[in-house]
Amino acid sequence: MELFDNLALGFGVAFTFQNLIYAFIGCLLGTLIGVLPGVGPVATIAMLLPATYALPPVAALIMLAGIYYGAQYGGSTTAILVNLPGEASSVVTMIDGYQMARKGRAGPALAAAGLGSFFAGCVGTLILAAFAGPLTEVAFKFGPAEYFSLMILGLIGAVVLASGSLIKAVGMIVLGLLMGLIGTDVNSGVARFSFDIPELTDGVGFITIAMGVFGYGEIISNLSKPEEEREVFTAKVTGLMPTAEDFKNMVPAVLRGTFLGSALGILPGGGALLAAFAAYTIEKKTKLKPGEVPFGQGNIRGVASPESANNSASQTSFIPLLTLGIPPNAVMALMVGAMTIHNIQPGPQVMTSNPELFWGLIASMWIGNAMLIILNLPLIGIWIKLLTVPYRWLFPAIVLFCAIGVYSTNNNTWDIWMVAMFGVVGYTFIKLGMEPAPLLLGFILGPMMEENLRRAMLLSRGDWSVFVTRPLSAGLLAAAVLLLVIVALPSIKSKREEAFVEE
Amino acid sequence: MNIKSQKDFFSGLFYTVAGSAFAYGATNYTVGTGARMGPGYFPLLLGILLALIGAFVMFKALTVETQDGDKIGSWAWKPLLFIISGNVLFGILLGGLPSLGVPAMGLIAAILGTTLVVSLAGDTFKLKEVLVLATILSIGSYGAFVLLLKLQFPVWPTFITG
Amino acid sequence: MVLHVSSVVMSLGCSMHALCLRKSFSLLLGKFVLQRIASMKKRHFLSGLCVAALAFGSGGMAQAQSYPVKPVRLIVPFPAGGATDLFARTLSQKLGEKMGTTLVVENRPGAGGTLGSDLAAKASPDGYTLLLSTSSTHSIGPNLNPRMPYDAVKDFTPISQVGNAPSIMLVPNSSPAKTVKEWIEYAQKNPGRLNYASSGNGTIVQLTAELFKAQANLFVVHIPYKGTALAIPDLVSGKVDVLFDSLPTGLPHVRDGRLRALGVTSLKATPLAPGVPPIADVLPGYESTTWFGLFGPKGLPPEVVARVNTAANQVLQDPEVIDKLQRFGIEPVGGTPAQFTSMLAKESAKWKKTITERKITLD
Repeated sequence: MELFDNLALGFGVAFTFQNLIYAFIGCLLGTLIGVLPGVGPVATIAMLLPATYALPPVAALIMLAGIYYGAQYGGSTTAILVNLPGEASSVVTMIDGYQMARKGRAGPALAAAGLGSFFAGCVGTLILAAFAGPLTEVAFKFGPAEYFSLMILGLIGAVVLASGSLIKAVGMIVLGLLMGLIGTDVNSGVARFSFDIPELTDGVGFITIAMGVFGYGEIISNLSKPEEEREVFTAKVTGLMPTAEDFKNMVPAVLRGTFLGSALGILPGGGALLAAFAAYTIEKKTKLKPGEVPFGQGNIRGVASPESANNSASQTSFIPLLTLGIPPNAVMALMVGAMTIHNIQPGPQVMTSNPELFWGLIASMWIGNAMLIILNLPLIGIWIKLLTVPYRWLFPAIVLFCAIGVYSTNNNTWDIWMVAMFGVVGYTFIKLGMEPAPLLLGFILGPMMEENLRRAMLLSRGDWSVFVTRPLSAGLLAAAVLLLVIVALPSIKSKREEAFVEE
Repeated sequence: MNIKSQKDFFSGLFYTVAGSAFAYGATNYTVGTGARMGPGYFPLLLGILLALIGAFVMFKALTVETQDGDKIGSWAWKPLLFIISGNVLFGILLGGLPSLGVPAMGLIAAILGTTLVVSLAGDTFKLKEVLVLATILSIGSYGAFVLLLKLQFPVWPTFITG
Repeated sequence: MVLHVSSVVMSLGCSMHALCLRKSFSLLLGKFVLQRIASMKKRHFLSGLCVAALAFGSGGMAQAQSYPVKPVRLIVPFPAGGATDLFARTLSQKLGEKMGTTLVVENRPGAGGTLGSDLAAKASPDGYTLLLSTSSTHSIGPNLNPRMPYDAVKDFTPISQVGNAPSIMLVPNSSPAKTVKEWIEYAQKNPGRLNYASSGNGTIVQLTAELFKAQANLFVVHIPYKGTALAIPDLVSGKVDVLFDSLPTGLPHVRDGRLRALGVTSLKATPLAPGVPPIADVLPGYESTTWFGLFGPKGLPPEVVARVNTAANQVLQDPEVIDKLQRFGIEPVGGTPAQFTSMLAKESAKWKKTITERKITLD
């Protein structure tokens, strides 16, 4: 079959010694960046870009791709170990991953993340290889109205992210939505809620909020408990690998996550972010087997599923890049720049005019994933050792890395003041029992939702019915309503039970 | 006022205040109509929604019985103070305060200062240990961030590098 | 305990007194610190450190007269990976060589480029902080935003223009127009029913379209996006009818046959887009290009300006650089500081006119 021929060509290209070395360097660098919170792949790739001018194009792209994946793997590591999400998609992994780490199950958590990511990456790459063309057609069907409905669906699902009070979770989502609106409005160019501070015209940074709320808040809260009560990283670390039972639970989760992630990653502009959240939501709604830890307290499925979704989405998000030249995020935008420098215009003709490049890149994606799993699994042992470092040495290091990471996003000390403020806010949230995860989702989705809503209205010249007359949009909204019912039903049911009991 | 759930009450208060603040701020911008939404439309809508949610949560906190009053408990002032001031110190040392004329002291000084202050937030503070930790972190950070990743940081104080 | 603290403080104080530290000193300091931890020979350490500090410090004391003696930072007020950033990085290596130093690109994004530009404006005019910026920060921004933190004319010393990038007029394949003239007629027959996409309110993409509308007397609705790349799917599917995109982002889609290019916005046809006629053929005098230029803070000494200007002009003639820039859709343009200054004045006046006439405001 043609596909296999092409893949064979690709592997032939990618498996040269030189290219393998570059893949390795890229993966190593990427893991390092990913592990250090806040330090993003964008800055590093930009830094290394001129160095890659001298390299042959395939090698350059392989290395850059390695950095990209490495950063994702590394990001989940910090999310699980120290409750610091390096990027938006790690937030979900953190919810159950960190809890697992606190219970001494950091090893299985990391392994689950790694293996799930690897599997999803392979599947995603296959889908990319086989179906790139037809899938872009799907992307075209998505206009602003469809995106808006998708976001609504995502937000309703976000409610499920919370384990506590439903109404407070909704409040957090709305608060997140509002915070996301700070900054310059796309449609009018007005800087909203910026108090004339120039640094706020681009809004509050995601990293800033995440570091402050999750990082500092957690540390302060930990320090406030006397040493014996601290659940931080109990000395008994039970095993590095998941148990057979874990594997049994994980596999369907990984499959679900992979499928969902591949689907959402195709949508240019934001689909991939939703993937992790959506996967977690779906997972949480499936029945718990007897003996399973509830979600939010360290369920391995809550780590495996979002990680898989995440990875397959980042594979399939190459599709709009390679076929339309539309980068799904900042890192990919840099890759486009890199390709342009090497005189490659990403687009369908790349497949025909430069087949060694295209298929070599695809093969290198697989190799990158494989290399990362080889790199990361033994590293788990090292990470576990790190957790046994006495907390009084660990937490200053975490604070420092947060501060450095935040500074490195914009080279501006303003971000450091912001993260301090969010540290206070984060601690307040913990004390008041307000869960931050839904806030982050609202923060990410808010501006996109508003942008698409207004654009849909502009295009329809003020006609609200456009959301239900366009079939795809109507379908998504219907799903949202259904999800709302499913989510609200348990609490209604329990209220009714209460009422019956009292009578 | 019989607060049945302290946590919920103050959460609700937080929401109400935040929501009202955003809604008030939103009126500074053109609100527009549903068909041609201005920059103020969405924030106003959401701000009002949040304030309402806050009011509802506060109401629940006053009426629905809880087991133990959901007390907030004491605030950890010491860790809060030291961690946050450590962070702020980092910013001051790293970048300086141009408006007040404080010169930038660079990354190494910032790491030293911050590690010292932040360590005070813990239960035990052994100066020797902290200094060793600070040194290791300085060297590690320099190696990882400046050398390896080539990030742009002012490493040394400005009056040395000129 | 007291001795520990005082010896550390003294050794730090000793090192602080050395002026003009060079990189090797920091390595030496590191080695000494490690030694110190290994062996507790405080007195030896202290004296050794002071000797080393003085030895290194005495060399390179005063600033050498010839510029540049140390790395120069080139501020790019846009995020890494954008057009300006890639331009800067392509330029920086060779430019540094020609100037005899290293040029370090520093990204300071934010507020549409004003944050970084402001930083450069307030830097000291010693030639070690330069700015690579573009029309949005110096020609468009000041005329649009009443609250700029800097004065685009007074707070900067123009050094040299380094590039020019025209835009390209793109329509979907389903559009009934095959030339600029046909499109204008199509728009005139459907006032208010057509849409144009842009990368935001007040951006060059929008202003280019507004200039077009003004000269051709059209009513087309503005649909902003967070970047032209995100507008492409909607353009291809026909939800929006036209986009004046920058060459590098737009041209690949034309080559793939997904979009049709009707015209370029430079005054004459450009080799970067062969076969596409300039819009000026139909609308006489129509021109909209994004310029890129090097600036220094105000009060930059003329020798520094001359040095950088000469180096820049040399680099812009290098065939490798020209090739790379052209792939980005940028035409290298050099010139004297005086030429740059007069170009800036002309551009600013032109956009000011468009902005006031079309009543473009930040809502």
